Amino acid sequence: MTTKSIERFSFAERASHWTSALCFLYAAFTGLALWSPRLFWLSGVFGGGETVRAWHPWGGLFFFLALGVMFRRWARQMQLDEDDQVWLAKSHLYAQHIEAGIPESGRFNAGQKMMFWLQSASAFFLLLSGVVIWFPEFAPRPLRLGAILLHPVCAAVSMGGIMVHFYMSTMAVPGSMGAMVRGTVSAGWARSHHGKWFREMGGR
Amino acid sequence: MTVAKLIDTSLCIGCKACEVACQEWNDQEFTLGVFNNTYQTQPDLTSNFWNLIKFNEHVDDGVNSWLMAKYQCMHCADAGCLKACPAPGAIVQLPNGIVDFNQDNCIGCGYCITGCPFDVPRLSSVTKKVYKCSLCSDRVAAGMTPACIRTCPTNCLTFGSRTDMVQLATARTAELKEDGFKDAGIYDGPGVGGTNVLYVLKHASEPEKYGLPKDPRIPWAVSLWKGPLKWVANAAFLGTAVGAMLHYLKFGPKETHDDEIH
Ligand code: HEM
Ligand code: SF4
Ligand code: SF4
Repeated sequence: MTTKSIERFSFAERASHWTSALCFLYAAFTGLALWSPRLFWLSGVFGGGETVRAWHPWGGLFFFLALGVMFRRWARQMQLDEDDQVWLAKSHLYAQHIEAGIPESGRFNAGQKMMFWLQSASAFFLLLSGVVIWFPEFAPRPLRLGAILLHPVCAAVSMGGIMVHFYMSTMAVPGSMGAMVRGTVSAGWARSHHGKWFREMGGR
Repeated sequence: MTVAKLIDTSLCIGCKACEVACQEWNDQEFTLGVFNNTYQTQPDLTSNFWNLIKFNEHVDDGVNSWLMAKYQCMHCADAGCLKACPAPGAIVQLPNGIVDFNQDNCIGCGYCITGCPFDVPRLSSVTKKVYKCSLCSDRVAAGMTPACIRTCPTNCLTFGSRTDMVQLATARTAELKEDGFKDAGIYDGPGVGGTNVLYVLKHASEPEKYGLPKDPRIPWAVSLWKGPLKWVANAAFLGTAVGAMLHYLKFGPKETHDDEIH
């Protein structure tokens, strides 16, 4: 056993991650209030329907901006390499905790990289379609019809992705929460889950 | 009893009395309209102008004429606005068929504007609520006829039970046909389950000439959005949650091998 800890996420990374997470949750739950009349009661939790209608777009916009900060910082590290391709092909083994034959990961594994691109793409399309729904009186009808389809589709994809992300970080991979909250992981954690990165950081 | 308004466009003289009556009864403030070189009061409906006589210019054998069309909410049986609205009680369909907006419950999202096949609801930039013709639901509830009907000097507008109005419209169509308008017919939006505003048109096969959509239907994108899209997404959410639970129960968390580190 070792108590040696390694810095995984800097303060700036953690701050932008949790800013975007909070804005996302706000946008997701206020959005869900309009998802169906049966969920409209949710708007009461957030100050009523008119408040939700007025503030949801701002929550979404701030989410997009915070994600933009993460994007600038991480986009290069999130490029998939050849090992990642193999990892993806064997992701069903990863899910079963079978390690044999799965290439070691760098700072981010291929699954995390896919999550990053999925969230980035859906945030981009949420913004585009969201702006159209924001100002219905200025958008031509065909554009509005496209947007009222695209927005919930992207919202569903990103919320589904976040459900997986949430499960992974809180339950499936113990230790990852500490990485994003305190910024550090144990050396053993780094070696077990991100072997290549562990060695880059000088571990053996 | 389902009520209906019948508009016999062949009898409209474009006097706009109904526009004034509508403004008066609904207590609309006066706003200066836009003049666009036509006889119309303004180019389009606005949030405080719910009833517009459209002066559609028409040329037949070198003869100019207007095809008058009173433009307002059609009070659809299958109402696209209602289908799109996320706020319970903001749009209500009364037992008599009137589709009424209740601004107290409206959140101003504008979904109804996209859902309406007739492009009727208008968002007010002042109140951030949506407005349209109510078929004078308040007057009708008190046993009166809508204000526009009451004021029309030519019998172009009639109001009553929908069955009676369909009968009257059929009779008027037959008369027009006798007068030589072979294409005369009724416009009542079968694609939206029937509208409670009925038109008699001289050129029934070309409603576009009156500024009316040819085959009004709730846009397929709106039906998809409010129907299958939500079911699929809800199923996917449920599947993800159940999947995560089962995964944890079967495989548990991913182990960290701390032991070999020195
Ligand atoms: C990126 C900037 C965003 C903008 C400008 C935006 C804008 C809007 C607008 C204007 C509406 C209509 C009602 C309202 O104003 O509340 C709406 C609905 C909605 N939004 Fe967003 N939004 C954004 C991001 C998001 C995000 C991040 C989510 C969560 C994943 C989300 C989920 C939803 C949902 C579920 C609805 C209801 C859709 C429906 O009625 O089917 N939005 N959005
Ligand atoms: S015409 Fe438009 S606003 Fe009127 S009931 Fe039909 S869908 Fe609703
Ligand atoms: S603007 Fe008002 S009436 Fe129209 S869909 Fe939204 S809440 Fe319903």
